[in-house]
Amino acid sequence: MLRDQFPILQRKVNGHPLVYLDNAATTQKPQVVLDAMNDYYSKSNANVHRAVHTLAGEATEGYESCRNKLKQRYNAERAILTSGTTEAINLVAHAWGRANLTAGDVVVLTEMEHHSDIVPWQMLAEERGVELRYVPVTENFTLDMEAFDYALDGAALVCVVHTSNVLGVRNPLEEIIAKSRVVGARVLVDAAQGLPHATIDFQALGADFMAFSAHKMCGPTGIGALLVTQESFDEMEPFMGGGDMIETVTVDGSTYQTNEHKFEAGTPRIAEAIGWNAALEWMESFDLESEHARLIGIASWVAEQLRGLGIDVYGRHGEQDAAVVSFLHPTINSEDIAHLLDARGFAVRTGHHCAQPLLHRLGISGTVRASFYVYNTRDEAEAFVEEMRTIVEKFA
Amino acid sequence: MTYPVSLQDLIEEFQSVEDKRERLEMLFELAEEVVELPQDQWNDNTRVKGCQSEAHVQIIIKEGRIQFLSSADARMVQGLMGILTIALDGLTPAQAVLIPPSFAEEMGLLNTLTPSRSNGFRNMYDKVMAELRQNGAD
Repeated sequence: MLRDQFPILQRKVNGHPLVYLDNAATTQKPQVVLDAMNDYYSKSNANVHRAVHTLAGEATEGYESCRNKLKQRYNAERAILTSGTTEAINLVAHAWGRANLTAGDVVVLTEMEHHSDIVPWQMLAEERGVELRYVPVTENFTLDMEAFDYALDGAALVCVVHTSNVLGVRNPLEEIIAKSRVVGARVLVDAAQGLPHATIDFQALGADFMAFSAHKMCGPTGIGALLVTQESFDEMEPFMGGGDMIETVTVDGSTYQTNEHKFEAGTPRIAEAIGWNAALEWMESFDLESEHARLIGIASWVAEQLRGLGIDVYGRHGEQDAAVVSFLHPTINSEDIAHLLDARGFAVRTGHHCAQPLLHRLGISGTVRASFYVYNTRDEAEAFVEEMRTIVEKFA
Repeated sequence: MTYPVSLQDLIEEFQSVEDKRERLEMLFELAEEVVELPQDQWNDNTRVKGCQSEAHVQIIIKEGRIQFLSSADARMVQGLMGILTIALDGLTPAQAVLIPPSFAEEMGLLNTLTPSRSNGFRNMYDKVMAELRQNGAD
């Protein structure tokens, strides 16, 4: 059984079996990922690329295997390994943005973005005088596409989240990308929440950049990637300088690598890349599409049950949305709910989920968020609803 | 350290309960002990900084004795305020500043709270003690 491959799911929390429902923050790791990282440090630990000894060769092969796997799985010309989604987006802002955007250029964002897809652009706007336009979110929890059409006029770059980490809503990327193409705007997709739930063909989707993290798809923390088209890759200037990204260095200046290493200065995250590769291979052992259908079924059932308890649920839980249930009780404080749940072994998240502009638009300051992933069961969802019923009956 | 009797009783009561949920529910009940600081009196001086939720405290010294007013949006924080109310109300500032923060640990409250929340509690304790010292407790 898939669930049995996760050692952490065997543990108890506060005397109760762990029911882990904080998957939109980070997912748990299967044994194969733990083994791969342990094996690397136990048998092959060495620095990558330069040395000619056997261990260095094994480490390099392990590290580059992750990149090759990403390119193959998501059909990308270029895959730059980063520390995660945040660094990947910052890389676009620094390496592409600073080389290609000047005062008056327009960057379109949405109110649904995670802070990591807002703050780097605000910093760039401050530095370069770039204009930022935000597409609002409607009361149906979707992007206002009329406003998007209006914002797109003269845009150089569109930054859009694939799937909201608060609402689980999957945005109409195909339409957004097609319209952006018409005006000649580049498109950056924040797929941190999207890729764990769907295998995307990057080139078929037609975006220029796609950022995501390993740890939200059963891989290790500390590593992620930026997929880039060759055309946009060629327009990027180095961001961080240092070892591994250069071709030659003299006292008069340096020349740079021409492949992804150009953007991976310093010793990279070797064990993490090897762990992520193991996670990606592991994800091929089951059908992600049918797992996603099962999870959205669970999330939609949980949302309906919570509404029945008088709880406000944010999101629509459509077929393509992520299995995220954000909610607020009219009288019981969110932090209190999370503490009460934790005392019975349920791990959920509370707060603004690093998406304050979205919450501001919704007129709230935070939610409780239960998010489901491939190892979660219907039994866990039922136990969660029962626990929420107990909390509401006792504390409302 | 010997605590005031009321606080010592509370410590023993919490120590006797092992189940985290029961301890939380006891904490929630202590919210009833709070003497409410009305919202129109909240300001930057009353705000407890570093608290995840909105939390405000005010110390009033009446005839040399402490009156502790507080308010928070989370019931759990109100419960922590209830403990401070029980611990401080009616003491002189000089008596109150002798209460060390270790009572929260002895009650097992730090096991009940996540690190960020126990920092919030410590901030509340430190703020109250600083104000008492300003009131001439030293």
